[in-house]
Amino acid sequence: MQFVGPAIGFGLVTASILALAAVGFTMQFGVTNILNLAYGEVMAASGFAALIAVGKGLSIWEAMAVAAVFGAVLSFVLNRAVYVPFIRRGTRLFGMVIVTVAVGLIIENTILATAGPNFFSYSLAQESSYSVGPLILTTSQIVIMGIAVACMAAIHGVLRYTKLGMAMRATATDTTLARSCGIRTERIVDAAWLISGAMCGIAGVTLFINTTSFTASTANSFLVVIVAAAILGGVGQPYGAMLGALVIGLTSEIAAAFIDPSYKNVVAFVILVVVLLLRPQGILADITSQREVVA
Amino acid sequence: MSTAMQFYVSTLLVYTGVWLLGAWGLNLQFGTAGLLSFAFIVFQAVGAYTAAVLALGPQTDNGGFQHYIGGYDLPFPLPLLGAIVVGAAFAIPIGLVALRRLRSDYQAVALLVISIIATNVATNEPRLFNGATGIALVPKPLASWLGVDLITYQWIYVGLVVVVCLLAYFVVHRITHSPLGRAMRAMRDNEYAAASLAKNVIVLRILAFMIGGALGAASGAILVLFIGTWAPSSWFYPETFVFLAAIIIGGTNNSLGIFVGVLLVPIGFAESTRFLPSIGHPGLIDALQWIAIGFLFLIFLWFRPQGILPERKHRYSSEGKLLTVMQLVSRRLPIRSKVKGQAT
Repeated sequence: MQFVGPAIGFGLVTASILALAAVGFTMQFGVTNILNLAYGEVMAASGFAALIAVGKGLSIWEAMAVAAVFGAVLSFVLNRAVYVPFIRRGTRLFGMVIVTVAVGLIIENTILATAGPNFFSYSLAQESSYSVGPLILTTSQIVIMGIAVACMAAIHGVLRYTKLGMAMRATATDTTLARSCGIRTERIVDAAWLISGAMCGIAGVTLFINTTSFTASTANSFLVVIVAAAILGGVGQPYGAMLGALVIGLTSEIAAAFIDPSYKNVVAFVILVVVLLLRPQGILADITSQREVVA
Repeated sequence: MSTAMQFYVSTLLVYTGVWLLGAWGLNLQFGTAGLLSFAFIVFQAVGAYTAAVLALGPQTDNGGFQHYIGGYDLPFPLPLLGAIVVGAAFAIPIGLVALRRLRSDYQAVALLVISIIATNVATNEPRLFNGATGIALVPKPLASWLGVDLITYQWIYVGLVVVVCLLAYFVVHRITHSPLGRAMRAMRDNEYAAASLAKNVIVLRILAFMIGGALGAASGAILVLFIGTWAPSSWFYPETFVFLAAIIIGGTNNSLGIFVGVLLVPIGFAESTRFLPSIGHPGLIDALQWIAIGFLFLIFLWFRPQGILPERKHRYSSEGKLLTVMQLVSRRLPIRSKVKGQAT
């Protein structure tokens, strides 16, 4: 039983990182309906941007802000320069998935080609750890959880109480109707990519802080867990993604403590497959109809 | 040809056959039936492992240095046939999980996840197929019975691969030109319309999944019996994308086009970079190769989404028979329709 406390601690940290990434992923998916499999690579690129920033002498938290901006700009540019032209040209759901896979391959291997196949780290100073009840956490882990909670609150605020959030929800529900109500859906789509990119950048840096050493493909192998969390909650549902992140983060770390660390993702994925069998639309979503991609 | 050259060319031909079988299998799932089958590489792995443990003796052989289930020491055609059967059977549970009730994009993700679960389990369970190290020393089929030297054996194996590919082509051709293939294409183009014409789309999907899986398993079996080893690192999930690249670039639903795609993507790329001087850090050439594959995807999806050799439009006579090219010419019908995206 002595493993439970640390396992829950690790689980909460993993869930925080997952929540940041999955909410970003699902918001963009909800608005545009593009299953963006290049998301992991944008995370990696932002993480490496933060690495460069740290190398220039910025603190890790300043570097995280750099990564957020970098992720937002990169996502925005990718959408405007690649995805939108393809959609305008008539590429549909399947084609768009393959376009994002191709973009992901290019980004990941560009990082690999320039940075090399080495392990990198932000070389943070040795941290003191605190025990909070049964949990044992380091400073950066506590900060990561704080950032995740703050971001979730901010997303909730934007979605619930601003015009932009309302327009985003409207676009996600029915793009044509939103457009005919005078919402400029192109701008909403841009906003979705920017927000999702910023979340993606923050998630990338927190992931790399938490794994201490990383390569060009670390974030990509994490992508499937992110997508699992997003789908578990119902794709396009930010609150569902938060719930999915919590479920997957906790179960995978607790499974790692009790069964075998190498099986932690397997357990998470099995939960996903079972949920998909019982509730194909995810935990929180209504029955979603098949929408087309939105540019 | 020098001995070394003969060895190289024959090995390359076997690899071409392996890629071709796999690409045809994936095309049945992706091109004909419209399933975004991101777990395809699992079928190749299933075929390879099955063939390996059917061909190998019990695990105490060779000093018992590797662990695996099975070990039946079966003579040649049986490991290949066993792999095909197991590959097709393996498609049923996966198909039931992923294809029954899910939206198509969820299916893609569910299959991707299944691919990763499979690699995870095979890596972490050493008693199953010797874990991350993988299985080695799989005996070459009929090698002792034939008793020929290495180069002759290589060419005999090439002959075997050609025979299997021709058989596979026959099967694929018969299926895609049958009412079954027509129903699958109808389902791909409009699932609800197909269902409203009393086509059971679930059965169609799972059938496409099984036949494609059997072909994928055959490719894995032929590969493992040739090279003698198989490990989880041979079938990480991005490998599926290489098959997909070959199909999209060559021409979805055109067996000849897919052959061209296989020659261009996996064979052409892997072999052309082999002769480059090694530059930069280890892994740089690999990375550049993947970048090039990424750009190839984008270039083809942009300029020629139908591939080098596009899908032929099937035309039927009033009796429902598929017309040949000659009949079409004699009737002065357009062989290929100008209407985009209607392929049934």
